[in-house]
Amino acid sequence: MINTNYFLLNVVLLAVGTIMIRGSFIALSGKMKNSEKLRELFGFIPAAILPAFILPATFFHRGIVASLYGKERVLILIASGIVFFFLRSTFLIISFGLILLYLATSFS
Amino acid sequence: MGFRAVLPIISGIIPFGAVMGSAFAEAKLSFWQAFFMNTVVYAGAAQLATVDLMTQNAAVLVVLATGLIINLRFLLYSAAMSPLTHDSSPFIKFLCAFTLTDQSYATMTANQSKFSTNSEAVNFYLGTAACMMITWHLSVFAGFVFGNFAPVSWSLDFAVPLSFVALLVPSLKSKKHIAVAVVSSLLSLLLFQLPLKTGLMATALLSILFAWILIRRKND
Repeated sequence: MINTNYFLLNVVLLAVGTIMIRGSFIALSGKMKNSEKLRELFGFIPAAILPAFILPATFFHRGIVASLYGKERVLILIASGIVFFFLRSTFLIISFGLILLYLATSFS
Repeated sequence: MGFRAVLPIISGIIPFGAVMGSAFAEAKLSFWQAFFMNTVVYAGAAQLATVDLMTQNAAVLVVLATGLIINLRFLLYSAAMSPLTHDSSPFIKFLCAFTLTDQSYATMTANQSKFSTNSEAVNFYLGTAACMMITWHLSVFAGFVFGNFAPVSWSLDFAVPLSFVALLVPSLKSKKHIAVAVVSSLLSLLLFQLPLKTGLMATALLSILFAWILIRRKND
């Protein structure tokens, strides 16, 4: 059981720290001028951070399809990426990937 | 419009919220304690890690450092959002900052070509944020009451990387963007074992450094 005062202290400090991180640059917007180079750099943030969510979660996952050495998610992610490239539908890529994974793991 | 744009990816949020809710229940927190933390912190990964530390009675400094290191990536999103909130009121700026999540930010940037003004982008973003917040709170509540309800065989956790692929592809606008994504992919695998999930932040910073070098080389 977590002590109430200890819990509240941690949560309040974490909340304050998190809003300071989230709000830091947004609060300063309007007070500082961003250069063109910096704006261009911001355009690279999705390419810099999204693969860091996708790859480890897929590659290091221990799957159950022995014939694919437990790496069925890697193959399905690649197939889903190709499907998305042509169809450009977020709903379809998620449905396609989840159904394919369900079938792969059900019939393994 | 933003609300609708983020709807397809909420399938990845629901199981994560359910895990968070059941973690709150397992830590024997009251409903109001769980609701309070979920509302004021509003950062799933950091909440999961810190609730676990609090059940072990870890030092406040350790809990705080862990949570804030995991949340450091929001600094990058905040920097990227700042040109858009340039003319917004302090209240709108606060809302944008408070609701900043991976999915909201990425959905907004994936649709950036559709906006002709900053206020359009901010309104779209707030729509995504509203959808995210409603989904998150409802799924955490469901997890708190019913436990982790999604059958394991559905592998709903896999919806998160799938949805990020859908958000990543539109952002790869040039060979330089693709190069940065490739570098980030390799670094994320190499740095994954770093403690306190710092691999994510290290990957992001090194990849942005690589992007900066590419921008500088083009301009030289």
